[in-house]
Amino acid sequence: MKTESEVAHLRHVSHWKPYLVILAVVFVIVLVLSLNLGSADISFSDILKILAKRVPIIDNLVGSYDVLQRHEIIILQVRLPRVLCGAIVGASLATAGVIYQGIFRNPMADPYVIGAMSGASLGSALVLVLGVGVSFLGVNTLQVLAFVGSLTTVLLVYSIAKTGSRVPVTLLLLTGVAVTYFQSAIVTYLQTIASDKVIHGLTFWLIGSLAPTENWTDVWSIFPFLVIGVIISFLYARDLNILALGEDQAQHLGVEIEKVKRILLISATLMTAAAVSISGLIGFVGLIIPHLTRVVVGPDHRILLPTSAIVGASFLMTSDAVARVIMGSGEAPVGVITALAGGPFFIYLLRRRKKGYNL
Amino acid sequence: MDKTITYVIAILAIVSLAIATYGLVTFQGQVTDLETSMDDIQGTLTTIQDQIDEYQTKIAEQQQQIEEYQEITLVDDMGNVVTLTSAPERIVSLSPSSTEILFAIGAGDIVVGITDYCNYPYNFSAWVEAGNITSIGNYWQPSIEPIVDLDPDLVLASTGSLEAAENLRNLGYNVLVVEAETIDGVLQDILLVGRATDKHIEAGVLVSQMRAEMDVIANQAADATSTPKVYHEVWNPPPMSAGPGTFIDELITLGGGTNIFNDATTSWPTVSSEAVIEKNPDIMVFPDMYMGRQNFYETLEDVANRDGWETISAIQNNKIYEINADIISRGGPRLTDALDILAKMIHPEIFGQP
Repeated sequence: MKTESEVAHLRHVSHWKPYLVILAVVFVIVLVLSLNLGSADISFSDILKILAKRVPIIDNLVGSYDVLQRHEIIILQVRLPRVLCGAIVGASLATAGVIYQGIFRNPMADPYVIGAMSGASLGSALVLVLGVGVSFLGVNTLQVLAFVGSLTTVLLVYSIAKTGSRVPVTLLLLTGVAVTYFQSAIVTYLQTIASDKVIHGLTFWLIGSLAPTENWTDVWSIFPFLVIGVIISFLYARDLNILALGEDQAQHLGVEIEKVKRILLISATLMTAAAVSISGLIGFVGLIIPHLTRVVVGPDHRILLPTSAIVGASFLMTSDAVARVIMGSGEAPVGVITALAGGPFFIYLLRRRKKGYNL
Repeated sequence: MDKTITYVIAILAIVSLAIATYGLVTFQGQVTDLETSMDDIQGTLTTIQDQIDEYQTKIAEQQQQIEEYQEITLVDDMGNVVTLTSAPERIVSLSPSSTEILFAIGAGDIVVGITDYCNYPYNFSAWVEAGNITSIGNYWQPSIEPIVDLDPDLVLASTGSLEAAENLRNLGYNVLVVEAETIDGVLQDILLVGRATDKHIEAGVLVSQMRAEMDVIANQAADATSTPKVYHEVWNPPPMSAGPGTFIDELITLGGGTNIFNDATTSWPTVSSEAVIEKNPDIMVFPDMYMGRQNFYETLEDVANRDGWETISAIQNNKIYEINADIISRGGPRLTDALDILAKMIHPEIFGQP
């Protein structure tokens, strides 16, 4: 005999299935469509042939394989890694956004709130302005410094905000704001001594673009962070739900809030830093996607986390596809597309669901 | 009687024998003659054959020389080492200055891809529309997809496309980063591109021409009695000028002027209005456009009306000029044009009015 709450819970969980199935289908459709879009003119059947040829068993079904070699390179070495990077970055930022909003119990929180953004931009500005060189001994210094900058800044903010064994959320947020301003000042100063070429390059980095991610190294260098982040956040999804009741309440219910906060902060920051290091600062995704998903699936983190990841991935892939084709052979910065497309849609959702939705 | 007949027969026999012998000898001589001439003919034939063989060997050697492109190793401006095993036939240029260099050394016919910003020496946007050349789009952070689609055997990248250069290199494409800040660096770049495209003679001629032209102007300018102070604004707002280590600074010096910010600590210093007023330049130069926009920020009149600038010597004497932004900002073959224009602005008494 199941208790009433358990039955309610099961009913809830069974409601989640359709969401996951629909979103998975949407994800696959967006992935395939993104692969089909680009400046090079490659037919859909050629793309299918190229992909099928790489899958055992199915490859026998491919009839005559008469695909141009450069088209094969474009699909497998250029477009596919870029689309996947878009998916991973989108999923990472959205998941991190859910975690930050959950920990801070603040709708304004996003992956950049406690210094991940300013740290990364400081790292990249140092590389670009001081001319360390984008590639040094086979290592992409821009990525490494952006990652390290992001991570160390958040750790710095965390250790400053730490009072005794506790890390008050408000103090963490305010320290993050202060450090962000401090680092932005350094970046601004670096911009004033840079040449117009470097300034332009930095501007592009600060807007965010997936053009530099057209290689498999980037995919493999950030994918592990997403996997680890998603697994850890899912393990602590219940704790995040309880945290929503308030820290004192959560403590009474047996949640080791400081430990939970620390672990979740670290995994969210790792995901953010990894994403930022390869794509630059793509704003909006980490802030809006969690809200957007919450409007549809509700506030339970056990469903909110996976759905946000899929929605974030699909959203960024779509935005990047638009960025790639909207200007002919050139391309628009994806950060601009995400904000232009997502902003009005989100406002529309908010207005429509205004009465029933509580931030 | 019988005896007589016998004698007659004997004589006849002897005579006929003699005739036969003579005939035989003569015939044999003819045969030998024939044989000798046959030998001669054959000898001639052999000689001809030998000559043919010789020519064929020579042709083969020359063909091999033509086919056997000297494998060359190049080092670009970022220190990347590139080895070319054959002369490039499909080049993609990712910057306007590289495009200008390629066309100036006669390698324009193997350029298959350019950027939207390339506009010299031809109206490339019309070429792109006509389908004669392909634009890969952005100068900043271009996607490598349109580049790979052109199947190039050499890509000339710039500081605006370092990530694309890295990604292309990892896919096995030959990529040279061509971007120089100084005059010498630009001339080196021209030679580098010349070596890469198998046009080293043309590149060498172009570089020595440029050197000679610049030397002529510099020598004439050296005779001038004054060295006017020059302010060159690269960007605004905030006003940014060119400092030491830039070809703009070098061009001003060669043209017989003094760059008022040649003591700056960075190559592209952001300068205050106050500093410009304090340094009181005799000549001020502004780019006529930015990113293809004429008067992007302000006109020369607006510049003259900037607060407090009315005391500046250049404005009082109406010595403020516009300069073609492409010519002064691109490290390419038109640097001599830039020097020519700057020299006229700095020393009109020597070089004539700009």
